[in-house]
Amino acid sequence: MARWHASVPVCKDKLMRHTPYRWHKPLTPWVFVLPTVVGLLAFKLLPIVSALYFSFTEWSLLGSPLFIKLANYRELVSSEVFVRIVRNTVQFSFVYVIGSMVFGLALAVLINVQTRGIAFFRAAIYLPVVTSAVAVGIVWNWMLGPTYGVINNLIEAMGMTPPYWLADMKLALNTVATVQVWKMSGYYMIIFLAGLQNINADVLDSARVDGANAIQSFFRITVPMMASTLFFVLTITIIDSFKNFELIYAMTKGGPQNASNTLVYDVYLNAFVYYRIGYASAIAYVLFIIVALMTIFNFYVRKHLVEGLD
Amino acid sequence: MKKLTTFIVILVVVGTLFAAGTKEAKAEGAPITLEWWTWDPTMAEENQQIIANFERENPGVKIANTIVGTAEYWTKIRIQANQNKLPDVFTMSSGYIEEWAKEGLLYNLDSFVERDDTFDLFYQSIFDTNKAISNSDSYYAIPFALVTTVLYYNKDAFDRAGLAYPTDGWGWDDFRSAAKKLTIDKNGDGKIDQWGYWFYGRYAHVEPWIYANGGTLLDRSTMRFSPDKKAMDAMKMLTDLVLVDKVAPAPKDMSAFQQQDVFPQGVAAMWVDGSWFVDTFRKNVQHDMRWGIVRVPSGPSGSNTLTYGWPDSYALAPNTKHPEMAWKFARYVAGEGIGLDTYMAGKIPSAKKLATDPLFSDPNQQPGKDMDLLIEQAAGPMTTSYSMGWGEWRGYGGSEALGLNGTIDAIVNGLMSFDEAFRRSTESINAVLKRYYK
Repeated sequence: MARWHASVPVCKDKLMRHTPYRWHKPLTPWVFVLPTVVGLLAFKLLPIVSALYFSFTEWSLLGSPLFIKLANYRELVSSEVFVRIVRNTVQFSFVYVIGSMVFGLALAVLINVQTRGIAFFRAAIYLPVVTSAVAVGIVWNWMLGPTYGVINNLIEAMGMTPPYWLADMKLALNTVATVQVWKMSGYYMIIFLAGLQNINADVLDSARVDGANAIQSFFRITVPMMASTLFFVLTITIIDSFKNFELIYAMTKGGPQNASNTLVYDVYLNAFVYYRIGYASAIAYVLFIIVALMTIFNFYVRKHLVEGLD
Repeated sequence: MKKLTTFIVILVVVGTLFAAGTKEAKAEGAPITLEWWTWDPTMAEENQQIIANFERENPGVKIANTIVGTAEYWTKIRIQANQNKLPDVFTMSSGYIEEWAKEGLLYNLDSFVERDDTFDLFYQSIFDTNKAISNSDSYYAIPFALVTTVLYYNKDAFDRAGLAYPTDGWGWDDFRSAAKKLTIDKNGDGKIDQWGYWFYGRYAHVEPWIYANGGTLLDRSTMRFSPDKKAMDAMKMLTDLVLVDKVAPAPKDMSAFQQQDVFPQGVAAMWVDGSWFVDTFRKNVQHDMRWGIVRVPSGPSGSNTLTYGWPDSYALAPNTKHPEMAWKFARYVAGEGIGLDTYMAGKIPSAKKLATDPLFSDPNQQPGKDMDLLIEQAAGPMTTSYSMGWGEWRGYGGSEALGLNGTIDAIVNGLMSFDEAFRRSTESINAVLKRYYK
């Protein structure tokens, strides 16, 4: 027994000295994260920092960048078109965020039932999310077409005069934003659905027993209990609202007269159509500042409103 | 001492020349690999055939072909240029020749062109169009194909209306008169089913009318947008087709169509665009519709013998190590060593032997002998409005809803008056041109 006891410390000591993980050095984790770190530095951080430098240059990719100080930014702030583009970007974002949240939540509530064939509807609503944005743009162009478009034909059949959805300067941007809402609502629906299914059914049952109707239950129980989910969706819809290049390219190309041009599309135009890399970088930094401000606002909302509700 | 110094200098000079000559001779004798970049992925097989033939005829020479899709081509090749790694031979667009030549990124071909009696084999008019586009006195690219603009017309629609087909002698009145008779509400529902004509602000829809009226868009002496009266008259005539004559639809009414589908689907009986659509119609329309091509009608102040046309070309890297072989290969792929079957129908070969091939105007395919018009155009005077920043001020590709294209669309879509639109666009177009021509 004593011998056994005596052997224990020896074994422990041996284990300590001959641990199978003895190759593990403080540097080891860095080896594992190195590919990611290098990737992030090379493909994210470096371009971000480079773009800041390029935003102070004139460069067509052909020669060397010419340092022109703040000329690009001066051109931006003095350009009426640019002011319009910023306004368009914010308007697109507003329509998209509100639309996606309202439709996403409404769809989630509608299909949050366990009934035969519900999986089909869930898949059908999700389908546009995985459909190519260019294909979506082309099909909606057809449907909104003034002469043969199915939507305008329906409007005409009801005795009304349909508008020019994509050629009217007041409608074009909202039309593209609405199509983007249609395309992406299914994605947010899935997130809302997960949030809805996390709500304890007993709470809703209790409310019903206490006499709450469906609307009261929704606004006083469901919505507050989904505050975290709502905030999460709000955050990602704001970020997604700036990713509007493909639909604009497929549907309006920024027209008519810049009415549907946004910062992202203008970056594309200046960088890859006009080859004004410096000016495009300056636009990208304005976009960066707008996104940063919105993110700060998001965190403010989370800190002061959502955490209290959690 | 003086004699000795003179002797040493002569020795050094002769030695250097000899060494240089030996080096060049070695380089020409050693295996050579030429980099060849092109932008048409559909030509992969044809390119390999061309390469195989060239390599067989030129032992010791290897051609490495890189095909980059049109969408990425210019970004990638600009980066190559930036890194001083331009391929020896590469496809060049008329839209960029001036900018690239000014940046010193294109090999000056003057000595080759002069030495090799190039115009015995190629149309000088097409080379000269390239020279004019480069805004210089030199040849910086060897054209392999020319595209022009023509009036397409639907023979079936003309027959149904009992109208004589258009001719090269047509003027604006003939055209307008036919367009009115061809604008038809077939089922009496108050909506036009067949328009006489179709256009929007696109360069290939507008400029042909301007040049056929003797007009210009740019003041070449100042490089500013300054459309003269003849150009303004042509644009007013076009916009009036929609707003006054009502023989053409507004672009907003055609937004569900791909622009090139309006004519072949029979929605418009006439249309002006690039000659390359001959190929598209042959493939897509086949015999469902009979159609022909003629010159764009002459304006009252000009003549349609002046064609709006521009070449697609090959250029050589200014730092190519094998300029002789690169020039030889460029000539080969520009027409000397290739067949007519490698050309999209409607693109006019710059090599005379291909353009005069009887199959170019194949009587068994539409538009038959009308194709001779393209050869006539290739041999005649041509003009364009290309300049640095053209894509931006004209509104092309991703920016086609903007620039001059967007301006004309705004007029015919009823968003702005003609005068207001041109007041605004002149300002914004000149802001672009001022950046390039300070």
